[in-house]
Amino acid sequence: MAASARAQVISLYRSMLSASKKFPSYNYRTYALRRVRDAFRANRNIEDPKTVARLMTEGQQTLALIQRQVTIGKMFESQKIVVEG
Amino acid sequence: MAARVLQQCVRSLARPSLRLCSGNPAVRAAAAPAVAIHRPLSSAADSRRTRWLGQSRIPSVGVFCRQYGDLPPFTIEVIRDRVMYVLKLYDKINPEKLQTSSHFMKDLGLDSLDQVEIIMAMEDEFGFEIPDAEAEKLMSPEEIVQYIADKKDVYE
Repeated sequence: MAASARAQVISLYRSMLSASKKFPSYNYRTYALRRVRDAFRANRNIEDPKTVARLMTEGQQTLALIQRQVTIGKMFESQKIVVEG
Repeated sequence: MAARVLQQCVRSLARPSLRLCSGNPAVRAAAAPAVAIHRPLSSAADSRRTRWLGQSRIPSVGVFCRQYGDLPPFTIEVIRDRVMYVLKLYDKINPEKLQTSSHFMKDLGLDSLDQVEIIMAMEDEFGFEIPDAEAEKLMSPEEIVQYIADKKDVYE
């Protein structure tokens, strides 16, 4: 993978994780974090530039989706559940 | 003899009021004149009272006054301990292999995604953002400690 593509992937990973952390609901938050981690690990060995580019656009769309859902989640915030401590 | 009796009086006056005064400023203000009246009586009583004050103040302050807003001093050692604590809790790091000088990728077998997660854990721990350009250069606990010390203006 080219160095620039690599830096972009790392940066996307970072912003997706920090966006996922903002979910007010425990269930969505842990699911999003787990899903992002697993997806990046599942595709870690892909070298083909086209596939990488396709996955990057997909990731950017997902990032936008996470940000939207976090905003919506904040409108309907409820009490913390017991496991959150 | 008279001096001794007066000393007793001073001590019995000073003792209960001082015990109270650690918390209550009104009581402290009331106690001050009572102590001040006896001041010119004798130098012996005076020195004894100050000695007694010196002994009593320190523990009573420690016990009764909670020191709000007080943090332990922020030093390189404190930063190092906290960094190592965060790293030990990270599930992919073997705590036995971990040393301050070990390289995340070469020595601990982590990849770049793990390194990103470690840096994000450090951001959470120390409460500030580490920009991408600098985050990718931090490859060992020692470098993280040094970077945080620079940012927080901590010097040895």
